[in-house]
Amino acid sequence: MGEEQVRPRNDMDKNMKTTFGSQTIELNPSGEQYVASVEGKNVIVQVIRAANGRMDLLVDGQRVTAYVSSDMAKRWVTVDGKTSMLTKTSGAKQGVRHDHAGGLIAPMPGQIRSVSVSVGDAVKKGQTLLRMEAMKMEIRIQALKDGVVKSVSVAQGQTVEREQILVEVE
Amino acid sequence: MFKKILIANRGEIAIRIMRACRELGIQTVAVYSAADAHAQHVQFADEAILLGDAAPKESYLNVDKLIRAALDSKADAIHPGYGFLSENASFAAAVDSAHLTFIGPSADSIRAMGDKAESKILMKKAGVPTVPGFEGLETFDEFKNAASEIGYPVLVKAAAGGGGKGMRVVNSEAELKEAIETARREALNSFGDEHLLIEKYLAEAHHIEIQVFGDKHGNLVHLFERECSVQRRHQKIIEESPSPLLTPELREQMGQAAIAAARAVNYHNAGTVEFIFDPKTSQYYFLEMNTRLQVEHPVTEAVTGLDLVHWQIRIAAGEKFPFAQSDIHQHGHAIECRVYAEDPFTGFLPSTGKLLQFIEPHGPGIRVDSGFATGDDVTHFYDPLLAKLIVRAENRTVAIQRMQTALQDFIVHGVVTNIDFMRAVLETDDFKQGIISTRWVEKTLESNSGLLDSQQQVPALHSLIAAALADVVFFSGRAQPAVSNETDPFNPWKQTGNYRN
Repeated sequence: MGEEQVRPRNDMDKNMKTTFGSQTIELNPSGEQYVASVEGKNVIVQVIRAANGRMDLLVDGQRVTAYVSSDMAKRWVTVDGKTSMLTKTSGAKQGVRHDHAGGLIAPMPGQIRSVSVSVGDAVKKGQTLLRMEAMKMEIRIQALKDGVVKSVSVAQGQTVEREQILVEVE
Repeated sequence: MFKKILIANRGEIAIRIMRACRELGIQTVAVYSAADAHAQHVQFADEAILLGDAAPKESYLNVDKLIRAALDSKADAIHPGYGFLSENASFAAAVDSAHLTFIGPSADSIRAMGDKAESKILMKKAGVPTVPGFEGLETFDEFKNAASEIGYPVLVKAAAGGGGKGMRVVNSEAELKEAIETARREALNSFGDEHLLIEKYLAEAHHIEIQVFGDKHGNLVHLFERECSVQRRHQKIIEESPSPLLTPELREQMGQAAIAAARAVNYHNAGTVEFIFDPKTSQYYFLEMNTRLQVEHPVTEAVTGLDLVHWQIRIAAGEKFPFAQSDIHQHGHAIECRVYAEDPFTGFLPSTGKLLQFIEPHGPGIRVDSGFATGDDVTHFYDPLLAKLIVRAENRTVAIQRMQTALQDFIVHGVVTNIDFMRAVLETDDFKQGIISTRWVEKTLESNSGLLDSQQQVPALHSLIAAALADVVFFSGRAQPAVSNETDPFNPWKQTGNYRN
């Protein structure tokens, strides 16, 4: 089985909230990355490769190799030689739609670093529309489908709040 | 040389023996129980014969079935491995009667060392130090005099005993009377025999054993020691060679004592003479002789460079052991960790299930002897040993570091293992100083010294992220993953890496 560059699934267009025991984690797809929120702390996660139960990740720029196995609600996870058994107590998908009406929202608070498109531009699925900086990490906001830019609500240097609409594509 | 060997065992040791057979150009026959139909040792062998049901007495302990399997498959020898029938003199005799070769010592040697009282008397005669003590005492005054001659603390224990029953530690004369009465009662209830023996009690004892090797031509050498003091439930979990406690003089003395012990029972093939070692006095005492290959034999292979299983086979076939004592040396340092499917939090009770991931470490100086692979079932029928991880390095410090790293790279999902526990043990100052005695694990866990604490923390952030992310990249798009331990552990394992772009 080969390795592949793994991007957030296109059908994972919602925030995903999972509870393991006393801890709840929320994953928000954002371009090629995810923003993971745990107890008010946000980290940026990129999946470098994933196959056969092994994932190589960049977590806030730090390389992490994790082995995960699934056994009903149980997850066996090994990171840095430490094996934990986590039990999913709720896996319901909650939260706002990420591409509501074609709109792309800020996955976390941050500052807009650059905007690459203007209203009326034709864009391709996966094309980077703007870059924002959060927690000293660059997050690329990408088009989730082919279309035309309907609105651009932010400008370079602007600070944005979580879930604020940035760009709309239709 | 043999053309075909039947291996009367399972798991990692069966595979290790088959590997040696292959290297020597010998065909292999595996035997298996119904529970092991798809086990790795069956897969590895040239041919395999079903013995019967999962229960050991229907399969791996069934002498008649094993002999018949060997005759049917036209094997010319049987290797018993360790455990099961490996120290059963009747089995060795039955193999001989069937005109097959038993790869191990003679039935007489096994029998002589199998009886603990008889072997102690034999050892005394052979000049091998035994734990100071007395047998055949009756009256309280006899016990009292014996105890003061030995010196407190002493141990009174059932002559017919074992497993800690009918055994009492006595710290002073004031405790002696009651201890004798209690031990007698327990001995009578457990073994139907109230006879007690009394011996020196060694509170901080180490377990140090000497590997011996002899051929059928009278050559007998020792292959140095293994320190096996890290134990839980009276079973070893970490072994090493050399022992950090022995001086070259002591090593040579104990080696010669082991040879004397083996010679006293006309020993040939691989054997191990176990000693209790008192670090305060540097005295060593004969404990027992294991008349078979040991679980921890790779430690000796790593430091001597000899392949013990090769030589077991070649000696059984009548070859001469070509090395004199002066030809054999210890190089560097080796450590073995036994990876068990067991839960340190439940008093090391076995853990069963399907292995969802089983990834062995590798790298310079790392050896893994294992009997399992991803997808295999770990059942409750047999010993929960998953694998032995052996490292070799130029010295003890580097060996410990290498072992830590290798344990960190050993991934087992699906059953709870003692991997994290062994990492915690290796991390302690006591281990680093080499002062762990046989009761250390028990005492350390009792005194709540935090040996298990590091394993009880809530999962770290990275683990949490990985667990949640796995649902997206591996397991999403399905209500439940197809791999499961909880629904039907006997279904063939199926991979579900179904992520896609």
